[in-house]
Amino acid sequence: MQGSSRSVGESSGDSEGSGANNHNTTPLSSSKTEAQLVLESPISNKASSSSSSAHHQKPQQQEMASVVSQDPPASSRSAQDNNKKKGTAGTTSEKHLDAKAYVQQLESSRIKLTQLEQELQRARSQGLLLGAYGGAGGNMSSGAAVFDVEYARWLDDDHRHMSELRTALKAHLSDNDLRMMVDGYISHYDEIFRLRGVAARTDVFHLLTGMWSSPAERCFLWIGGFRPSDLIKMLRPQLDPLTEQQLMGIYSLQQSSQQAEEALSQGLEQLQHSLVDTVAGGPLVDSMQLMAVALSRLSNLESFVLQADNLRQQTLHQLWRILTIRQAARCFLMIGEYYGRLRALSSLWVSRPRENSINDDGSCQTTTDLQAVQSAQNHCPPFR
Amino acid sequence: MEDLVERMISGKPVVIFSKNSCCMSHTIKTLLCDFGVNPTIHELDEIPRGNEIEQALVRRGCSPAVPSVFIGGQLVGGANEVMSLHLNGSLIPMLKRAGALWV
Repeated sequence: MQGSSRSVGESSGDSEGSGANNHNTTPLSSSKTEAQLVLESPISNKASSSSSSAHHQKPQQQEMASVVSQDPPASSRSAQDNNKKKGTAGTTSEKHLDAKAYVQQLESSRIKLTQLEQELQRARSQGLLLGAYGGAGGNMSSGAAVFDVEYARWLDDDHRHMSELRTALKAHLSDNDLRMMVDGYISHYDEIFRLRGVAARTDVFHLLTGMWSSPAERCFLWIGGFRPSDLIKMLRPQLDPLTEQQLMGIYSLQQSSQQAEEALSQGLEQLQHSLVDTVAGGPLVDSMQLMAVALSRLSNLESFVLQADNLRQQTLHQLWRILTIRQAARCFLMIGEYYGRLRALSSLWVSRPRENSINDDGSCQTTTDLQAVQSAQNHCPPFR
Repeated sequence: MEDLVERMISGKPVVIFSKNSCCMSHTIKTLLCDFGVNPTIHELDEIPRGNEIEQALVRRGCSPAVPSVFIGGQLVGGANEVMSLHLNGSLIPMLKRAGALWV
């Protein structure tokens, strides 16, 4: 029996895709603004006579650093002075407390600033601060962030697998050699399902809302990934010539998948209804209990995403089983290319010139779209 | 307790242990009913000793306990197993062999 408790995850058969996109185009200004905010507030609160309002980052940092480095000795000195002096002890100790608090606040701000800078650095290097897709910057959970990084890596691997397959098919390698590659590709898909299984348990919404994917892919999302029967429908005409038995197998797979998808969709719908009822509550419902029940209902979402991923994984395995090695190689290549195109489409869409297209003959918009495609073709690698 | 479960699953072509509150159970019930199967359904959150039955199911290897599907008195498994069997084409023949489906 296939797949019993195989841990699930998803592939939507992704290939290169995000490589084309802005890993390093992060607005520096935003990072400075954040850091500035951290710097400014305590200083503007405390520094009565303090010099510059924060116009420049660096001078201020130096200033703060010098203040911090100077103060500990200063405060200890003043503490000693305090002990020696009698007299105006009240005023001096007040000032001492003020200075100490000020220093502590500066110190903690400095630490916070360093942490923020490190986080930004990490996020930037992991390509998380993407314009077109990727999470909403600062609001990403760590589970989501981890998945996005792993997914990006998986996409790179996918690209590599596809290149190998393409070369192998052109070179007319023996079936045995091809088999090894296809087996490797299947394992590659199994890997993304495993990763998605982990992500489903840490941040199911990230998967469900498709924030890990490109806008065009997100448009066709079914429970967090591709709809298996749609994939089969897309592939079927391109897999010809198929034997009678293979045709029947594929058709049967499509039908089974459709039935399973339908059942799963209905179950999910029931979950949504029950969630709506729970959250709506009622006049006599205690709000704490309402939240507790709602939370436990929400946790069921995980099992739906996992099950949908199971369907996806099983579909790929079944295709692999039904097709010959050569057909399977072409099939997986097609899947990868398909999703690569969807991702490229997303990039094109996002970067298209948004000129005012209100023209009498409506020709303006078409022209700009064509221009966008033409200019992008200069930058995008060929699909085949 | 094992006897109780045994009694519940034997003699019936298809038995589904479910809970009204469980949406995955709803999924599996929907799937099987849509085939035209007429399963025997036990809603563990409604029947007496439901908790005990649930624990007995866990002891038999059903994790989670619901939904769990028995065909011809044999444990098939949960949603995962049922879905996988359906996709690889084994589920319908199994149902037919148990007399739950006719051509």
